[in-house]
Amino acid sequence: DATVGSSSDCKPCPCPSGATCAIVPKTKDVVCTNCPAGTTGKRCELCDDGFFGDPLGTSGPVRACRACKCSDNIDPNAVGNCDRETGECLKCIYNTDGFFCDRCKEGFYGNALAANPADKCKPCSCSPYGTVDRQTTCMQVTGQCQCLPHVTNRDCGACEPGFYNLQSGKGCERCNCNPIGSTN
Amino acid sequence: TRPDANLVSPGTNLLFAQSGKIDHIPLDGTNMKKEEAKTVIHVPDQVVIAVAYDCVDKMVYWSDITQPSISRASMQGGQPAAIIIKDLGSPEGIAIDSLSRNLYWTDSILDRIEVSRLDGRHRRVLFDNDLINPRAIVADPANGRLYWADWNRDGPKIETSNMDGTDRIVLVKGDLELPNGLTFDHHSRQLCWADAGTRKVECIDPYTRLRRKIVDGVQYPFAIVSYGRNLYYTDWRRESVVAVDRVAEREVDQFLPQKRSRTYGITTSFPQCPEVNYCSSD
Repeated sequence: DATVGSSSDCKPCPCPSGATCAIVPKTKDVVCTNCPAGTTGKRCELCDDGFFGDPLGTSGPVRACRACKCSDNIDPNAVGNCDRETGECLKCIYNTDGFFCDRCKEGFYGNALAANPADKCKPCSCSPYGTVDRQTTCMQVTGQCQCLPHVTNRDCGACEPGFYNLQSGKGCERCNCNPIGSTN
Repeated sequence: TRPDANLVSPGTNLLFAQSGKIDHIPLDGTNMKKEEAKTVIHVPDQVVIAVAYDCVDKMVYWSDITQPSISRASMQGGQPAAIIIKDLGSPEGIAIDSLSRNLYWTDSILDRIEVSRLDGRHRRVLFDNDLINPRAIVADPANGRLYWADWNRDGPKIETSNMDGTDRIVLVKGDLELPNGLTFDHHSRQLCWADAGTRKVECIDPYTRLRRKIVDGVQYPFAIVSYGRNLYYTDWRRESVVAVDRVAEREVDQFLPQKRSRTYGITTSFPQCPEVNYCSSD
């Protein structure tokens, strides 16, 4: 308040150099108004949307604001792609998941880091008849579903040779064909 | 910066979001009085995406995606108050029906459109299907229609329905990529949008379906608002507010805020509600 007339009327802004500040009339809060590029917050302690870090070192060592690191598995047109402090990715696409969008989300398998989106994460599509407890999840990389006894293939969609009745949902049964009367 | 940052001069203003604040630019006719631009809402720990204005109670509404919430504050100097804080993912578009006193919003994580009273009560899901990345939403209370855009990269579209969710129709599909911004001009009854993929600003008459390009070669539009013969859009790459004359079909002015960072939602605030022939104001 410059109207009181004492030498301490105007105080320096509690902001990084170059930033201006203002007083919010109702609360008398002082907020920085022109934070350095990439930063925001009351004291310029936060990163702008699309960036993460701890520019003032409020909760540890100083980490300058950097663009979200999400393995190219975020959409640049989205907002809020990562947590502004930790960098945790919040809007993974191409069926990816994880802190850095670096693995396939549940029910998908493949290589989340593949260059081509089509090669990234494919649906497990486990056969409901051949899979234990009709699970819809599979091994992260190979995509192998957990098969019932004598069931085979990645998706547990077929019986082992010499077995039949996948539809039973309890695994495949031995054919019990007479070796003398059977071909093949 | 002057400390009386909440007082608003009479007349129409542009309101736009940038990081943790909402700034206003007074308008003289359709000219931006750039030297009078100032911050009206300080919410430094938020990332404000959408901005809407209720001309009846003279309140500004906005959405924040960090602690997902929808808040409002009086333009005559009021404290921000959160009205929706639960069950939100990424609220990126809000619209106000000043007539029926309802608030509509899009959520691109929960993939739905919801409605509530202006105080957040009587909340209801309007749509939860066929939505991938819904963002901009606008209301046309005079005709009882709602419009929204979905920038789904596998099928971007602009849709419309009645305010109660009935009669949902796809209005624009094709030659669309990232329709981020949407605005309805009550005077000319034109629905206009800004597309960061095709890099065009276009308008359509929702009734005749006549579609018209206004400008092309824009940089990276995020939100757009119509006022008089102008359209004003925020741009992520230019980090500014750009004015386009939609009759002359060319850019006429730009406001570059002192703070350099992306600009988000934009709307207009009026001293009085625009006069419209309502048939149902009971």
